[in-house]
Amino acid sequence: MFSTSTQKKYWLFADESELLKARSEANAKFVASHGPKMTEEERNEILDANEEKALLKFYELQLRDFCRRFEPPMPRSVAGTAFHYFKRFYLIHSVMDYHPKEILVTCVYLATKVDEFNVSIDQFVRNVKGNQTKAMDIILNNELLLMQVLNYNLTIHNPFRPIEGLLIDIKTRGTMVDPERLRPGIEDFLDKAFLTSAPLLVAPSQLALAAVLHSVSKIGENLDNYVTKTLLGDSSSEALASLVEAVRKVRSMIKSMESSPKEVIRVLEKRLEKCRNQENNPDSEIYKKRQFEALHDEDEKYGSDFPSLIMSGDLKLGEGIFEINKSMTSP
Amino acid sequence: MDEQACPRCKTTKYRNPSLKLMVNVCGHALCDSCVDLLFLKGSGSCPDCGVPLRRSNFRVQIFEDPFVEKEMDIRRRVMRDYNLKEEDFANLQDYNNYLEEVERIVYNLTNNIEIVSTNQSIDRFKRENKDLIAKNRIRSGREEIILEELLEEEKILVESRKRAIAHEEMLEKKKKMRSKEALIDELMFSEQSAASIVETFKKRKLEEQEEMERHREPSPPPLVAATQFSTGIKFSQRIPKDGFLPVPKEDDTPLFKYEPLVLTRNGPSAPTWEEVTEKKYINHVRESSVVERAGGYLPQLACLRALEEAFDGLRTVAVARWTGQVA
Repeated sequence: MFSTSTQKKYWLFADESELLKARSEANAKFVASHGPKMTEEERNEILDANEEKALLKFYELQLRDFCRRFEPPMPRSVAGTAFHYFKRFYLIHSVMDYHPKEILVTCVYLATKVDEFNVSIDQFVRNVKGNQTKAMDIILNNELLLMQVLNYNLTIHNPFRPIEGLLIDIKTRGTMVDPERLRPGIEDFLDKAFLTSAPLLVAPSQLALAAVLHSVSKIGENLDNYVTKTLLGDSSSEALASLVEAVRKVRSMIKSMESSPKEVIRVLEKRLEKCRNQENNPDSEIYKKRQFEALHDEDEKYGSDFPSLIMSGDLKLGEGIFEINKSMTSP
Repeated sequence: MDEQACPRCKTTKYRNPSLKLMVNVCGHALCDSCVDLLFLKGSGSCPDCGVPLRRSNFRVQIFEDPFVEKEMDIRRRVMRDYNLKEEDFANLQDYNNYLEEVERIVYNLTNNIEIVSTNQSIDRFKRENKDLIAKNRIRSGREEIILEELLEEEKILVESRKRAIAHEEMLEKKKKMRSKEALIDELMFSEQSAASIVETFKKRKLEEQEEMERHREPSPPPLVAATQFSTGIKFSQRIPKDGFLPVPKEDDTPLFKYEPLVLTRNGPSAPTWEEVTEKKYINHVRESSVVERAGGYLPQLACLRALEEAFDGLRTVAVARWTGQVA
């Protein structure tokens, strides 16, 4: 249930200013910890909170398209869960710390697992463009990090089932003719809503109600009677007021949503490449060196028995790693 | 294979892989020939640290790291005195504190930290808990004897089985040899033709095999270890399998009391199961197929779930403030 969930307890914030605080804090943390280590030219490229926001919006669009084009066809709740994870992750970490491209696929992969839409990692990377083994490594390496950042609060309540519930209720107790007409408007609204910060600010049932009301006003009708009398007939007026407030907030967020032109995004991406945290960049030298050292520690651990242990199959390592070690330890 | 050589005679390890390393209380290792050399007189000093040692203190090294051996030694010594069990403590917290104390002592002694104060705490503990320690020593002594008896019984069983099998095989072999010799004798001395003799022998062998299969000799019953006097009184320390069970302890935990689940819902209440059908909500939900109904799925379930989720949380007012969460 949403009311007893961690989503409500820890991940539902009072308003946008809280989110802004979080994001600027993440940005400042990155600058403080990595700024001194970077060269002069890298430091000029550091992105500020607004630019990070624009980049994130762009990558959320990518997320949406990735989920839409996924084979086998992905249910919308999986996409919704992935969106939640993505938004939460970038409340805590800066865009420069972990590249959104990598976190994007990791979020979707984790969402398929959590939402019980089981896809093996091989099938999953087949949907990824580019080097698929590299993608597999990236996803598997980031998965645990993602879970840790989310503080292991993995259950997400999406607004899709509340939509169904509301439609059933309208059909039973409302006076509208053929509420099925509302569905395209609802889908469109929810699509836009997931691209904003709305899911972090209102409950999923409130989001669903906002979607229904928006769709209703689009086809020119009015459900206010239903909302006040039937839906909330037995509750107090301040509950009604807060609900109205929440719905209004969401609708205004959607209306004021704007996306930057592609050129701006491209420039920002280039800057990101320069100023990003190289330790987390799988293409960088530092990262590869760290991996190398991690394996060498294993060498120390097992001593001279290492080759015989591998040969006998007692010690199993990943494929790429195995090749490196074989060339290092064979006579 | 050890990558270390004996610190004194270094070459000998590579030459003789079966040479064992012996380790002492100071944690330094020596191969057994070096031990013989140095401790001819019975006592000497460790070549690495100069601590005076006795030959009897040398143990065959089990672990490659002499540090581990040293720790094992120290732990064994400490545990001889710190042998309290969980039942000796009032609550779990005390028992855990005791265990942590033991670990601290072992760690200090192994890493040569604060040896004097650690030894003092050991002495203090010994004095304060003298009778508990003594009682536990007796108890563990008894348990060890019981375990030994069990092991003995098992060993005897296994051995007698092995002997029976070996005995049978021998008998078989002898029989085969005898029949072969008889055949050869017949062929040599009898006047019948060779073919007919072979025939008769073959037939006899088949008959004998069938007879064997029909009555297998029962193997002699395995020797049972002497666990009772001739009058039937048992003299083992173990509580017999069908003896008396210990009296169940007084259980003070409270009995389970059913409390119905209370749902906090921040919104209007959803209809109940009956209302869903009465008030025709159910008409707007897809009917369940026969296959689904066999599994226990009814459309009311889906309907109720959707309605509950739609109403739950409508009155939520978000109040969480950003407090700098754990990264």
